[in-house]
Amino acid sequence: MALNRRQFLIGGLGAAATTMGLSACGGGSSGGGSSDGSADLQFAWWGNEVRNKNTAAAIDAYTKANPKVKVSQQPGEFQSYWDKLATQTAGNKAPDIIQMDMAYIAEYGKRKALLDLEKYGADVSKFVEGSVDSGRIDGKLVGINAGINSPAILANPKVFEKAKVEVPDDKTWTWDQLREVSAEITAKAGSGIVGMGVLFNDVMLSAWLRQHGKELFTDSGLGFEAADVVPWFDMLKSYSDAKAIPPAATVSEEATKSLDQQTLATGKSAMQMFWSNQVEAVNKASGAEVQILRYPSMSGNAAERKAWYKASMLWSASARTKFPEESVAMINWWVNSPECANINLAERGIPPNTEMLALVTPKLSPAQSSVAKFINDIKPELATTPIAPPPGGGKIGDILNRYQTDLLFGRTNSADAATKFVDEAKSNLK
Amino acid sequence: MSVVSELSHIHVEKPKSAEDRRARRKAAGRDNKAGYLFLAPWLIGLFLITIGPLIASLYLSFTEYSLIEAPIWTGLDNYVRMIDDARLHNALQVTFTYVVVSVPLQLGVALAIAILLDKGMRGLAFYRSVFYLPSMLGASVAIALLWRQIFGTDGLVNQILRLFGFEATTGWISDPRYALWTIVLLHVWTFGSPMVIFLAGLRQIPSMYHEAASMDGAGRWHRFRHITLPLLSPIIFFNLVLQVINAFQSFTQAFVVSNGTGGPSDSTMFYSLYLYQRGFGEFEMGYAAAMAWLLVVIVGALTAINFWASKYWVFYDD
Amino acid sequence: MTDLSARTELSPEAAITGTAGPAARNRRPGKLGRSLLKHLLLIAASLVMIYPVLWMLVSSFRPTDVIFRTPGLWVNDLIIENYTEGWNALSDPFTTYLINSAIVVIGAIAGNLLSCSLAAYAFARLQFRFKAVWFSIMLVTIMLPIHVVLVPQYILFNYLGWVNTFIPLILPKFLATDAFFVFLMVQFIRGIPRELDEAARIDGCGHWQIFYRIMVPLMTPALATTAIFTFIWVWSEFFTSLIYLTDPTKYTVPLALRSFLDSTSGSNWGAMFAMSIVSLIPIFLAFLFGQRYLVKGIATTGGK
Repeated sequence: MALNRRQFLIGGLGAAATTMGLSACGGGSSGGGSSDGSADLQFAWWGNEVRNKNTAAAIDAYTKANPKVKVSQQPGEFQSYWDKLATQTAGNKAPDIIQMDMAYIAEYGKRKALLDLEKYGADVSKFVEGSVDSGRIDGKLVGINAGINSPAILANPKVFEKAKVEVPDDKTWTWDQLREVSAEITAKAGSGIVGMGVLFNDVMLSAWLRQHGKELFTDSGLGFEAADVVPWFDMLKSYSDAKAIPPAATVSEEATKSLDQQTLATGKSAMQMFWSNQVEAVNKASGAEVQILRYPSMSGNAAERKAWYKASMLWSASARTKFPEESVAMINWWVNSPECANINLAERGIPPNTEMLALVTPKLSPAQSSVAKFINDIKPELATTPIAPPPGGGKIGDILNRYQTDLLFGRTNSADAATKFVDEAKSNLK
Repeated sequence: MSVVSELSHIHVEKPKSAEDRRARRKAAGRDNKAGYLFLAPWLIGLFLITIGPLIASLYLSFTEYSLIEAPIWTGLDNYVRMIDDARLHNALQVTFTYVVVSVPLQLGVALAIAILLDKGMRGLAFYRSVFYLPSMLGASVAIALLWRQIFGTDGLVNQILRLFGFEATTGWISDPRYALWTIVLLHVWTFGSPMVIFLAGLRQIPSMYHEAASMDGAGRWHRFRHITLPLLSPIIFFNLVLQVINAFQSFTQAFVVSNGTGGPSDSTMFYSLYLYQRGFGEFEMGYAAAMAWLLVVIVGALTAINFWASKYWVFYDD
Repeated sequence: MTDLSARTELSPEAAITGTAGPAARNRRPGKLGRSLLKHLLLIAASLVMIYPVLWMLVSSFRPTDVIFRTPGLWVNDLIIENYTEGWNALSDPFTTYLINSAIVVIGAIAGNLLSCSLAAYAFARLQFRFKAVWFSIMLVTIMLPIHVVLVPQYILFNYLGWVNTFIPLILPKFLATDAFFVFLMVQFIRGIPRELDEAARIDGCGHWQIFYRIMVPLMTPALATTAIFTFIWVWSEFFTSLIYLTDPTKYTVPLALRSFLDSTSGSNWGAMFAMSIVSLIPIFLAFLFGQRYLVKGIATTGGK
């Protein structure tokens, strides 16, 4: 029937268009921009209102100074940001400049979706040591550090006071001492307060593994075996038994809450793990001025704790951008220009460019100043920067959390949890 | 001939002769022109917007597709992988449990309230709006927060329980044993949608049947069983079929209450949530596509059963 | 046809309870007590239903840092800054997002009402070749989880150059892609007695006239249901808006609400609740006033 033939034709067209779009994803080189330097850039980031305002102001400043460049802003929110980016990349419509995260940089970088920034003139010459290499995938620089971070334990002095416990010396404490202090606080503070809120996550595992000569990830995959993490699960159990951490249900609930609803912010715990660039947000949410403490070490000597600088986020560019030079030029301006540094200050983390850091230091808020001091103080404690999680490794924190929850609820034991955790983490790696 | 009886009789009657067959074909196609004209917008939409992506998703199920790179053909690998995927089996179990419990529960409540609100009484419009309000909150982040405020470790439910002297130390949404049931409750709480459909359906029952029956001396319950229920059965059927389909695809509520984790301990890992995690979270869109088509097969089978069973209890006036 | 209007005078309550008239209602003394009890139960149930919304309403008048420290409904220090500041907290005033959502929603409602009723009439009343096949395909389109069709659709719309416009959000509605409503209307039409069709045909009406003279007026509850559901679902639709709208000035309300949050640092919960309440108001009003179309009875004798 004539009708049927027409229907099949339309159907075929639809299917053909779709597969054509799908195959356009692979390969493809970044086209050359225009010779006169004019460009139309799509700039994507995630953040809250403060960051959005800062970013918009900085973009305005750049476009004023470079009138041939037009920038379309794509602000977003962290959780949905990645779904959108993946969809855009699939449709060959990724933004030109992309705010990137360490958990995803290998997923995009190893699949050739990110531009080789050095090839187009990226300038990281003034960056402090240890802050550049985390953006390298397969030797290529695909992400430039947008702000330095380091994991820390934030302590609420008000809660310590309430429990009449002294804030311990974080340069000499050990993991056992951390547990003892937390247990003491839980016992003395009353009204449902615990010593430690969220602590046992993939970041702390990384810190702990490094002190045992292992890493979360190496170039050949997972950097540890089940036997290595049995003591880790044992440690978790010992913390739970000592009531250093909240009961299982609370721990499980914390995973679903955002920063301002978690125990440290609501005054229900004395210490909690955060990234150093979250200090200001925690202060605001808790109404207290938190102290920044280092992770403990095995030996009681902070210099041996193998700390590291993490890029809180990075600036990347799409491998298929039509304006590679202009994109890199804007990123260069972002991390190296005084103008941009003065607008953004330390909102994304401590500026990795040492000159920019010196420039903004006098302008930092008290909280940010304490963060800058912390980042500087831990320099002698640094060891090699951990590599970015390989594809399939970004969600290791979720996997760990699941087995830890099972352990806390008594549904499994350390040995089983360790084996299953390692098996699942390995099977996820691509 | 009703669509339902057509669908269920498709294999039953075989035409005996060529003439018979020609006559059946002629009868079946007597409104061809009008039918296809009325159907035109849907057909255009089907082929332009739906079929292409539908076929593409089937194709993707046989590939490894990270979204970032082009798909790579892997044949049946994804489907074979599903056989050993313990988390997938868990997701199926969670989803089945949810469907079997929450669909009848929600529909039952919706029907009961619809009938209650159908009679004339004061404040009818107000009550209807209030009962529909939860459904209006839609897919908002607000729902997650509200649910946590109620069922969390220090939420309202526990506070009330403590008032009555119970221990109430565990959070309902954070305990693997109870988390799923809070989502069942959330589903039942949003009974407003099927309720509204029932209300509309009740309106369509001609009053003359009720008048005639009550004149014959039939009481309220009798009238409900023998007039309302049968005449409402097409709507009940509709709600049942679609709520089952929807329940199997349930995503937002679990996503929002567990903050996308499917936790605690995968106890709220609905099938669609696991699919989304594998597709977008782990960059395994090919596997997600295979999961999607498995779901189509399962839900298709259940819907077919629904349709087949409907000829025993659904009454159509035409 | 002429008698229908006369018979619709019968009130809905009389129709269902079968009583002869309003005087008969309060005849028995026990009925008042029963009615009181019923109202009490309904009020209690209503409170349970809306407690979470009440909490959100009260929280929208509290400062952000206090919201999660106070689970109760007690109102201590009320502020209205969440509303006044929240309105302008994002890159555009909130009215922009309300208008964007309104455009998308109105387009979607018009599209669904038009295309779904046409398709439903075909499935419910007309005989044509392969009808069962198309009907089954329609059901399959409802069964496929959206996350998987999403990406190929995005690629398709991108190929057509429609990303960053409202077209991908509205056009599908004009092509009856919400099969849910087609199925809903099919079931409703099948509840309308065929005698009315026959009568019209005897009067010389063709299919089109039967459709818009008889079906559409009698389908008012189904159409109202479609309109209300489309309104609510499209108003709160997040994911498709997320991937198709990149320009913040085009954001719809759900996207704008999400912008108040950031899980990695501080979120502006107060403003988010305030604006959520603001965006609930149109839906609530639409339902409040649209209800009567939902319950418009046909109360027909089925006669001429």
